[in-house]
This record gives sequence, C-alpha cells and structure tokens, in this order.
Amino acid sequence: MATAAGELPKAARGKKQEDVGQIPQWKLMVRRFSQSKLSVGALIVLGFMYTMMIFSDFIAPYPHDALDSNNAFAPPTQIVWGPEGPGIYGLKQELDIERFQWIYTPDPSTIYPIRFFVQGHEYYFLGLFPSRLHLFGVEAPPEANAKIFLWGADKEGRDLFSRVLKGSQISLTLGFFGVFLFVVIGSIVGTASGYFGGALDNLIQRLIELIRSFPDLPLYMALAAAVPLTVPVTVRYFMITIVIAVVGWTGLAREVRGKVLAFRSADYTAAAIAAGASHWHIITYHLLPNAMSHIVVVGMLAIPGAIGLETALSFLGLGILPPAVSWGVLLRDAQTVQAVVTYPWLLIPVILLIVTVMAFNLLGDGVRDAVDPYA
Amino acid sequence: MLSFIARRLVNMLFLLIVVSFVGFWIIQLPPGSILDVQIQRLRMQGGSLPESMIQAMRERYGVDDPFYIQYWKWIQRSLQGDFGTSFETDQKVAERIYNRLGISFGLSLTALLFTWLVAIPIGVYSATHRYTWPDYLITFIQFLGLSIPGFLLALVLLIMASRLWDQPIGGLFSPQYADAPWSLAKVLDFIRHVWIAIVVLAIGATAGLTRIMRANLLDVLNMQYIQTARAKGLKESTVIWKHAVRNAIHPLVMALGTTLPALVVGETLIAIILSLPTIGPLYLDALRSQDMYLAGTILVMLSALLLIGNLLADLLLAWVDPRVRLE
Amino acid sequence: MANGAIGTATATTGARVVSEDDVIRVEDLKLSFYTTLGVVRALNGVSFNIPRGKVIGVVGESGCGKSQTGLAIMRLTPGRIEGGRILFREFNAGEEIDIVQLDKNGPEMRKIRGNHISMIFQEPMTSLNPCYTVGYQIEEAILLHQTQDKAEARRRAVDILRKVGMPNPERIADSYPHQLSGGMRQRAMIAMALSCTPTLLIADEPTTALDVTTEAQILDLMRELQHEIGTSIMFITHNMGVVAQMCDEVAVMYLGRIIERAAVDDIFYDPKHPYTISLLRSIPRLGVARGQKLESIKGTVPDPYSTVPGCPFHPRCPAAIPGLCDAVMPDEVFVAGSRTHTVRCHLYT
Repeated sequence: MATAAGELPKAARGKKQEDVGQIPQWKLMVRRFSQSKLSVGALIVLGFMYTMMIFSDFIAPYPHDALDSNNAFAPPTQIVWGPEGPGIYGLKQELDIERFQWIYTPDPSTIYPIRFFVQGHEYYFLGLFPSRLHLFGVEAPPEANAKIFLWGADKEGRDLFSRVLKGSQISLTLGFFGVFLFVVIGSIVGTASGYFGGALDNLIQRLIELIRSFPDLPLYMALAAAVPLTVPVTVRYFMITIVIAVVGWTGLAREVRGKVLAFRSADYTAAAIAAGASHWHIITYHLLPNAMSHIVVVGMLAIPGAIGLETALSFLGLGILPPAVSWGVLLRDAQTVQAVVTYPWLLIPVILLIVTVMAFNLLGDGVRDAVDPYA
Repeated sequence: MLSFIARRLVNMLFLLIVVSFVGFWIIQLPPGSILDVQIQRLRMQGGSLPESMIQAMRERYGVDDPFYIQYWKWIQRSLQGDFGTSFETDQKVAERIYNRLGISFGLSLTALLFTWLVAIPIGVYSATHRYTWPDYLITFIQFLGLSIPGFLLALVLLIMASRLWDQPIGGLFSPQYADAPWSLAKVLDFIRHVWIAIVVLAIGATAGLTRIMRANLLDVLNMQYIQTARAKGLKESTVIWKHAVRNAIHPLVMALGTTLPALVVGETLIAIILSLPTIGPLYLDALRSQDMYLAGTILVMLSALLLIGNLLADLLLAWVDPRVRLE
Repeated sequence: MANGAIGTATATTGARVVSEDDVIRVEDLKLSFYTTLGVVRALNGVSFNIPRGKVIGVVGESGCGKSQTGLAIMRLTPGRIEGGRILFREFNAGEEIDIVQLDKNGPEMRKIRGNHISMIFQEPMTSLNPCYTVGYQIEEAILLHQTQDKAEARRRAVDILRKVGMPNPERIADSYPHQLSGGMRQRAMIAMALSCTPTLLIADEPTTALDVTTEAQILDLMRELQHEIGTSIMFITHNMGVVAQMCDEVAVMYLGRIIERAAVDDIFYDPKHPYTISLLRSIPRLGVARGQKLESIKGTVPDPYSTVPGCPFHPRCPAAIPGLCDAVMPDEVFVAGSRTHTVRCHLYT
C-alpha cells in the first residue's frame, strides 16, 4: 500500500495515528464495524437466532420427540381468522392407496383458536427451572386432530418447528465450542512453538505436518466414527466438539507461531528481555496481545465451517445420532429427491443453516475489517 | 531442481508411512470390529453359530492380534495390491476402489478445471471493478456459494432438472447403456448423469477461489511494480493480466494441492444424494460397518493423493515463480 | 478552502517564470482524495514549469504533495484532479498538450507515458515485477513505443543497460529482479525509464532507499545521462544535500503548494521563506561550532483533513504576523531584484 499510492497513505497514516492517541482502539473497531451494514445485519440475525435458541423450549409448542401417527408428514398448518382471533382447522387423515401417501384435508366446520402463553408439556428452562409455560398453543380436544405445525411434521408426525428449535441447541453451539477449543489449543501450542523454538518447535511442527497430511473431511469422518455408538448424547456432543478441535487447531497454531516469531524478534521484546522480564510476562504482555486480533478473526471465520461440519457429520450418521436432534439429523429425512419433492418443508432446516452460515461469514468479515482498521 | 524433487519425494514417503500408521490406528479405535457385525448378521440369518467357527473367523481376520501385528499384516497385503475381500460383498476390494477412485478423480478434475476457468476471470473482474454493483453482486453470489451446503444445491438442481426435463436420477448411466460399449450416445448419457455433481462441486470451490483471487489481486495492484508497468504506457488490460494476475495467482497454485483431494472427498455428500458410485460413499459405508481394512486403505490413499497434490503444486509454483525456482 | 479564490487569482495573474522553452508547465493544479474519513486536499493550486534540459528539485516534508504532483503529471495518481492544467510539449513538437484533458488510460496518454515522460519510483526493491526478467521488462517499453522488432528491442535493452553502468549487461538482462541488489535494480529502473529517451523524467526519491555510496553513484549516473540525452528531470526528494548535488532549480513545497522557487544557489545562499530557512537549518553541516544544537522545525504538519486558514505554515512559523498570516493567504511574488526567485510569504509583499 505504502509506496504505490504515493503521498496519500503517508498523510492518511499520520492522521490515523493521531486518532489512535485520541480514541481508544476498541472504539475505533466498533466505529469501523458499524460502518459495515451487512455485518451489523448479520449480528442482528445471529442475535435473534441465539435468543430463539435460549427460549427454544418455551417457544416450541410440542415436545420435539412427541410421536403422532395421525399426523405423519402433515403439511404446514394453514392459519385462519376465527371469532376468537387466529385459529386452525382440524385435519382428516386419509391414505392415498395409489401413491401410498397420507393425504390431509382440513375440516372447516370448527375453528380451534391459537392461544398465547399457555400451559403445555413440562420442560426445564435452561436445563434448570421446571416450567410448563409456552409461547403459544392450540386449544382443541385430542379427537379433533387439530395441532399447529408451523413448519409441517416429519414422518413420525413430530412437529418440525419444535424439532428445529431443539436442534438449534446443538447446531448453534457445537461448532462454536469446537472453534473455541481449537482457538485455545492453537494459541497455546503456536505461542509455545514460536517462543521457545528448538526441539519443542520441531516436534510441534512435525505433528502439525502429520495432521495436515490427512485430507480434512475423511479424517473428521474417521475420528467421528471412532466415537463409540453407545455413549450418551452429552458425551457424544463433547466428543464431536473435540473431534472438530483436534484437527482444526493446526492452521491457527502455524499462524500464531509465525506472528510470535515476528514479535519475538521485535525490539520491544528484546528490550523486555534485557530488562529481565520473565517468559510469562513477555508472552502475556508483549506477544499475545499483538496476536490477539488475528486469533479472534481466524476463530470468527472458522465458526461457519465448524457449524457446517457438524451438520455434515450428523447428516452422514457419524455426528449427532437420533434420538438427539441437530439440524444435520433433521436433514437425514431430506436425503432423497422423492421425499423433498413430496414434502418440501423438510428442507426448512437447510434454509436456517444457510442463513446461520452466511451470517457468521458476514460477521467474521466485518470483524476482520474492524480489528485491522489500518488495512 | 532434481535434488529438490528427490528430497520432497523421500520426505513424502516417510510422511506416508507415518500417516498410514496413524490412520490405521484411528480407524481401529472404535470398540468391536466388522467381525462382530458379521457374526451378528450370520446369527440373525442362520440361528446358531458354532463357537469353533467364530474362532476360525477371528483368526482369519486377525482380530485378536495386537495392533502393530494387524497393521503389519494390512500394510504387507496392501503393498502387494491386495486390499482384502470386502466383508459386505465378499468380493475383491481392490477393483472396487480403483474403479470408484477413477470416477471420483475424473469428476473432481473436471470440476477443478471448471473452477479455474470461471474463478480467475471473475476474481479479476471483481477486483478491478471494486465497489461497483457487479462487484457487489459477485460478492453476494460468492457468499451464497460458500454458505449453501453442496448437497442442498445438488438436491435443488436435481429437483429442478427432473421437473423441467427428463433428468435421470442417480447412477452414472441409464440401464440401456450400462454395459454397452462406448459411443457418443453413451458419453452424452454419462454427461446427463454427472453434470449436476460437477456443477455443484465446482460452485463451492469457485466461490472460495474467486474470493481469494480478488483479495490477492487487490494486494498486488497496490504493488509498486504495477505502477511501473503503467508508467511504461502499457494498456490497463496488459498491466492487469500480464503483470498483476501472474503475481496474484501464487496462492491459487499453492491451494491446488489441497483443492484436488478436497474435491475428491467433498463429493461424499453429493454422491450420496445423486447415488453416484464414487469413493466417498464407499468410505462412509466402510467406516459405519467398521470395516477397518477397507476404511484404512481409502484414508491412506486419499492422504497419498493429498501429498502428491502438494508436490505437484510445489512444482507448478516453481514453474510460475522464478523466485521459488532458483532457491 | 477559504483561500481557494486567492490561489486561483495568483496562478493566472501572478508572477511566473515563463519561457517558450518549457517542456512542462503546471498551472494551478488541484488534487483531492475522497476517503471514508474525509476529503484530503493533496494539492491546492500548484504552479511551476520545467525548462528544457534542466533538473528541477521538488523538496518538502512527507505528505506535502510532491509525489502526488509527479503522479498527477503521469496521470497515475489515484486521487481526483479537480482543476488546473498540465501543459506538455515534447521535443521538436510545436503543439502543447494539456495532459489533464486526456483520458487517463486512453491511447494518447499511454503514448506519452513511458515514451515522452517516464518515472522512477522510490523503492527499487519492489518496483520491478518479480516474475519477469529485467531485460524483458525493459524490452516491453521499447516494443511498445519504439520498434516492433524483438531482436532490435533486445539489442537496445542491452545497450541501455550497458549505458547505466551494468557490468555484463547481457547476463543482467536475463536475470530476475530478486537476483540483483537494490542499487542494481535502481540502475535497471533508470535504464527502463530512459530506454525511450523521454523528454521528461520524473524521479520520485530514487535514492532514498539506497545506502550513501550507492546513492552517490546513482546520482552521478543520472546527471551524466541527463547531459548526454538532454532529458529534463523533475527530481522529487526531501534531502537538501541531494538537491545541491543534482538540481539547477528548486521548488519548495508545503501542504500542497509551492512556497518558494529559485535557482539552486539562491535557495541555499539566500532563502526567503521561513519554511525554507528552517528546512536548511535542520541539515547537519561540517564546520558548525561544536556543541551547537541542530535546529528542527517546531510542530508537525497539520492534519490533512482540515484546512488551515491563512498561510498554511503560520502555526509553525517563527516570524508569523498575528492577524495577517493566520487570516490571509499570501500571493506568490518575485523577490525584489530577481526575475527567477519567487516566494509565497507576507514578509516579502
């Protein structure tokens, strides 16, 4: 940049350096970030999705695993306006013998009203507080077969809306934790490798080279397949998190090592060493803060990949397994063209997945531009 | 240069040995083995199974041997080109692997070619027309391409194609061509079957490469030598294509080594949806049925592919960049 | 831009050393950058001329607009030219061309660039393309402007490499830039710039990145070639020592304006503008009494996003007249008794 545009960058840099003196750096970052409307939009979308996730049990009208053979593959419920506000019709289930499909016809004789803040099945809010309160529900006798399926039902008659909400608890968090873990591992190993050098560095570099000699996806698949099938869901969740981290840290460790090597030979580090500073002090005061923005950006940009990876593994039957629910598990129902053509609502989890991944990508881009305002 | 290649080859061979060892170790990690699956199936089919027969099978598959002996047996046989007999179908594995690897390779190579032909011009356009609406449009499409999982795209394309015209669903050939000798009709039929896979594979990779190309070119365009080229009075198009792109293409070449194996396995999900007989679904089946010899073989083969890809990329880089060449 | 109007008036009516023999005349050039942080007025009405066969030094601190002036003449500046004229007259051609009116990437401008006006940049390490041989990069310019014959272009490239003092020019022509040292690369750049015997050579701090011995060699070489070819040189630098060695005339720039213009001897022995005086005092010299402190100019260059009312130098000027210098922009006037020495300062009006 410096030379090509001639005099301007010099002048501009002079100005910005003054800015740094006057405005704290984080404010500069926030200012820069908020200039990118797309990134701010992405942040809002993600905020909304994570809020939905936290309140998922409250928002979901039915338990995610409530089987209902009377509503297998029921389409999204049509909402009508009745005397008591919004409501729905009951459904009549028939079997189309020729095509061997369930056919549902609404029964317009009665409108069953949708009520808000109703009592329903019991759940533990945030896994801690028992509650029966739900955002909405339909008041109808069981024999009427009037259930509200905002996004339709799957082959077992389970409410897809409730299942997607439940699935978000895994899909939106697993990739996040996986990345967090690999950022921690990558930073520590990379710093150690770059700072201490010598045999340790050599060993770590060989290890990274070895891990990188495997193609990513097959290695992820092999590691995920190594998790025993019989372990409980929570253990499986953490094992898959570790699988994501175990392969992912290598790239970051290399980059952090490079940064640390560069900062280590900088004059201010030499000055600190000459002043008798301890290794710990040098690493935490002089090296890590300089590498931090880079680490954060790499982490942010890795999240969408990790979320996609969890979905892919679960879709392949190697990640999260039923009866636990993640978006990848839900997509297993959408594997065949026939299913998707007949029951297109089964693709709703994909739309959410795309929105999430896109939002994280945009957010990551925004953060990258923001933490490096002089780029 | 020759010594450079030789050194790289030796290093690669050494890495491959370690990779095969670690790979095999990972594959045999899960408790139980294909034998348990097999015994269970035999029991379900034929009721009782004599203990002596189980014992015979255990010995044949070497299940009770310590890990390193299993590894040794496996590597010995693999080196002789004998990848064993598939537990599932009781047929020689080698032929199946080669067949499928060939198809995977062909598809990926085509997709790769497609990717480069599309990504470079678009990336260049995007970088040279920064902050114009086509650039924003390209960026938006890139984001879509990066964010939409390939298998969904495959699904959507398949649905659209089967609705709009008579898109065949699944497989490589229509039944009437499956065993027919190669002819123009058979080639066309083949293309009709695989075009979705190639397009889907290419789109994801193209989005990524376009983004890299744009970023690199923007960096290079800020270099002094671009100003020098302009100061000579060269046309802007010459400045860009001859002086800038040549320098910006480095990271793309370096990425080549990883792109090819990524494409080869990236099609796993797509192949499942399009029911294509490629290496991905075979690997997945082997993992799920704990067929460790088969899964291990495929994993090591793919690693070898990655290492060879990296070597080729390095050679290509040396050809493109005189600085690398002369070191 | 409270003083824009005054600046314009000066340019058209004020003092000017006008000569029929000028290769380039810049009149009231204005250049701005529109950035996300605001507008930077890089040039605020720059006027000067370069006579045929002379070396003009353009000096000033970083950010004063000297490099942008050079780039504007080449039409390679990323900024926007908002006013003024750049009149160029090539060797043995009567017509003056206003470069500002040309399409910046059009065929007329490209025919001038590298052929009639060429440029050398500050960083020899990065100004040659690492992917092509030095010879190829020189031939490229020759093939573009001089001849279509590849063998002839090659011959001329080797010739010019020999001329810039390269030992074994054939071998150098086949080398890649990274195989050469910084000084060699700058010689190669000079060879490239002179390969089409340009009317004007713009040298943007060509020796700043080099060590002192190499710098001296390169300067000698440039001076020598300048005599031989008769090219005019616009020599951009911040180093007054280099100016003394190289230039016939000097223009001193401050914040996008030329504030003093004179023959090189006048600048060194009879500087008028307080900025020029301070600039000269800040050079270390032999023969100065021991223990005497080297002077520096107080303060820093003001923020480029803002505009300073009155004379742009008044906040740092030791002789500033309150009420005048901080309110009114001084005109450019001749120093009493001279036809070549102009200054833009209230002390001399």
